[in-house]
Amino acid sequence: MNKLDSVKNLDACIKCSACTSQCPVAMVQPLFSGPKSVGPDAERFRLEGIDIDPKCLSYCSNCKTCEVTCPSGVKITEIILRAREKASLAAQKSGTTRLQVRDLVLGRAEYLGRLGTIWPGLTNGLLKVYLVRVLMEKILGISRRAPLPPYQAKFKGIRNNKLVPNHRLSKAVVFFPGCFINYNDSLTGQAVIKVLEHNGYDVIMPNFHCCGVPLQANGKFNEARGNAKKNLALMNPYLQSGVPVITGCTSCGLALKEEYPNLEVSGSELIGRQAYDLFEFLWELQEGGGLKQDFQEIPVSLGYHAPCHLKAQGIGTPSVRLLRLIPGVRVSDLDTGCCGLSGSYGYKQEKYDIARQIGEPLFQRVQEGVRIGEFQSMATECGGCQVQIEHGSGIATKHPVWVFMQAYGLSPEFL
Amino acid sequence: MWDGIIIGGGLAGLLAGIRAAERGKKVLIVSEGVGSLTYSSGVIDLGDAERLMNQKSHPYALLGERVVRSAAEYFQTLFPDYWGNWREPQFVLTPLGSPRKAGLIPRGLNTQALSETHKIILMALEGMKDFFPEVAKSNLLKAYPQAEVVLHPFRVEAFEAWYTLGKPITGMDCGKYWRTASGIETLKGVWKSLDSFEPDKAVVIFPGLTSVFSQPLREVQSNLPFSVIEMTAFPPSDGGYYLYRGLVQKFKALGGELLVGSGVKKVELKGKQCHKIIVNSKGKDSEFSARVFVLATGGIFGGGIEVTLEAAKEMVFGLPPFVPSGWTNSEFLGEQPYARMGVETDNQLRPIDSASKEVLLENVRIIGRMLAHWDPWVERCGGGVSLASGWFAGEQV
Ligand SMILES: Cc1cc2nc3c(=O)[nH]c(=O)nc-3n(C[C@H](O)[C@H](O)[C@H](O)COP(=O)(O)OP(=O)(O)OC[C@H]3O[C@@H](n4cnc5c(N)ncnc54)[C@H](O)[C@@H]3O)c2cc1C
Ligand code: SF4
Ligand code: SF4
Ligand code: SF4
Repeated sequence: MNKLDSVKNLDACIKCSACTSQCPVAMVQPLFSGPKSVGPDAERFRLEGIDIDPKCLSYCSNCKTCEVTCPSGVKITEIILRAREKASLAAQKSGTTRLQVRDLVLGRAEYLGRLGTIWPGLTNGLLKVYLVRVLMEKILGISRRAPLPPYQAKFKGIRNNKLVPNHRLSKAVVFFPGCFINYNDSLTGQAVIKVLEHNGYDVIMPNFHCCGVPLQANGKFNEARGNAKKNLALMNPYLQSGVPVITGCTSCGLALKEEYPNLEVSGSELIGRQAYDLFEFLWELQEGGGLKQDFQEIPVSLGYHAPCHLKAQGIGTPSVRLLRLIPGVRVSDLDTGCCGLSGSYGYKQEKYDIARQIGEPLFQRVQEGVRIGEFQSMATECGGCQVQIEHGSGIATKHPVWVFMQAYGLSPEFL
Repeated sequence: MWDGIIIGGGLAGLLAGIRAAERGKKVLIVSEGVGSLTYSSGVIDLGDAERLMNQKSHPYALLGERVVRSAAEYFQTLFPDYWGNWREPQFVLTPLGSPRKAGLIPRGLNTQALSETHKIILMALEGMKDFFPEVAKSNLLKAYPQAEVVLHPFRVEAFEAWYTLGKPITGMDCGKYWRTASGIETLKGVWKSLDSFEPDKAVVIFPGLTSVFSQPLREVQSNLPFSVIEMTAFPPSDGGYYLYRGLVQKFKALGGELLVGSGVKKVELKGKQCHKIIVNSKGKDSEFSARVFVLATGGIFGGGIEVTLEAAKEMVFGLPPFVPSGWTNSEFLGEQPYARMGVETDNQLRPIDSASKEVLLENVRIIGRMLAHWDPWVERCGGGVSLASGWFAGEQV
């Protein structure tokens, strides 16, 4: 955004406070003055060169609830992120090393992931040791109570880098798995591929890098843009041939749709239009009559949590629509706010309690639903949400693709 | 393909969605924002229904008594927490402490007990934003001259962070706190601290408390030897927020899908039928088709009508809004004719051409603030028109 656009964006704000009244962090943390105040209000001062309380900025978890709420379309989180970038540049000289190392660790899900997946057994073992977690908290500021997901062998895909002949590109998709599937949940990655293949698609999976979201969230703005450019270069040949890019993670999906189009490299003009959430893609097949409907009846009742970054995509909840097509499946869309984790936010020592408080209504709703027999387990697309909901409520939470695996007869059981 | 798509998820759109979903229809609501309920107090104003039903072109007159009554009754079966009767006005306290007329109200706001008591205890949480204890006290003395009013200032530990920061505690902060488990425990302590006031002979007024849709809070209150009366608040307000949440949860529990955050930017028409809407999603547009469409985009305030110096424009279908003559009234506090701006319809709520009365779109219904010929501020029927038109549209999907 240039300065003129910024001012226009600010002028759109009608000062209604709707954003602040819905911000999950402002609801539980009085030290955070809320999106209106740190966003459009403070921006006026920042444009004049006056920075007010940059510390306050770091409370924002970038869940985007404020933007979804704003009646005037103010790009609140963009304002906050840019201000953070500026503040972090200024602070880099003065910041404490401990937190800088943490930003490095949490921001690089990819490097941490690679480390973890080289020897998953050892890493997982270490992460379970209380003393290790205490040390991590002391040295890195990563909360000892936060639910760090265990690592699995790295996801390799099925047709990793296998070339799809040109004449078959019309029935091909590129799969962008994202770090969570890559390093913590490769089985779900396989499941996504199987479901797409079952529907007659060839799945292409170049060796992508992390989408950049965690880097951005931890103040590494240039690195985030660097990753995005590398990924776009890998996608570009396919984008040019009109091949859709499918994501299984809602935060990667949002980045591909919202951030990647702003890069000034080839392919950026196409990625917004050609990026799909997995279920958004399957729903489009369904509307066009192309979705395989050979579902077996399965008696499953699920609670569903819509990840914040799915809501921010403005496509509704296509997974719920599709799940309801499967005979025997019952879904309750809980709509009980944010889980609180917001990527790496809830891992931070000083944010763990905030994250926990934000998620509390959701956890209670989940436990209540299971207690009264409304549903048996939980489904949600975001890997972070899955980990946080299980941590907070003790109820098993999986990616909805597993229901399709079972209904298509590709895997025996959802639970 | 949906049975019905509702454009705009405010009070009118959500009620239409709930009614249609309850009738077994597949319904999608697409809404740019969360609507005006969070600015409202959660009180549903029905206005003087008998008179308005006879006022030419008023939505009540279009829809008739059966619809107005059924809608109000339907709302109460959905939300038994709401008290009142469509013909009998109730009284609630304004944020300044004066009683005002209302239609359907959350039970906690019911002021009946105030007319019968000789002692009112006015709770005044320290540091509360937009609450003026002395003003409220003097207004209460005026309205209830038979009673003495005792002001009871108190402080709550949970708000220490606010006190330290010098940050005012908003009504929403308070409301949320009292609904938490620790808030309820604190509240019990607050009730205990009243013992020396002989509260069993008094009525307690508690600004910042919102018990609507909170089972635990209502339980605590029903065990008290005195009645507790809540107050409405300045926007944005808790009461409206919880009503919004309540409506959304009902709608979803009935299988409805709600897409908030992206607006409808275009529609596709075939003759006098709409068959598709185009939604402004991130990255690309999404298309959704349905048999019936309901326009509930909230008038000027909701963004459904855009007004420039030259003209007024309906933003989704491009329908010609009815524009009252001399619509910019210079009198600041007088009646504002622009309030009556909106889309004119037949008695099935289908949009019509003002001059020829010809139906413009056969499978589109107009509801809530989008309708022409009513003024929520003068006629005090904002909630009522939204309920009646929303319920009717929900029956038609
Ligand atoms: C400040 C205020 C206080 C009020 N207080 C009271 C009260 O105390 N009692 C009472 O009875 N009534 C009150 N009302 C009136 C009452 O709330 C309204 O009559 C009623 O809520 C109007 O509802 P609606 O659904 O028509 O519109 P809204 O609630 O305005 O909802 C319209 C929705 O449509 C969305 N929208 C707009 N354009 C598009 C688009 N292109 N695509 C998709 N979505 C779109 C908007 O984002 C919004 O969510 C108050 C109103 C306001 C503004
Ligand atoms: S992005 Fe989320 S946490 Fe940040 S200001 Fe907006 S609503 Fe609050
Ligand atoms: S919701 Fe939008 S318009 Fe309202 S205060 Fe926040 S940024 Fe401004
Ligand atoms: S982890 Fe899930 S609910 Fe939590 S912020 Fe991410 S997307 Fe939102």
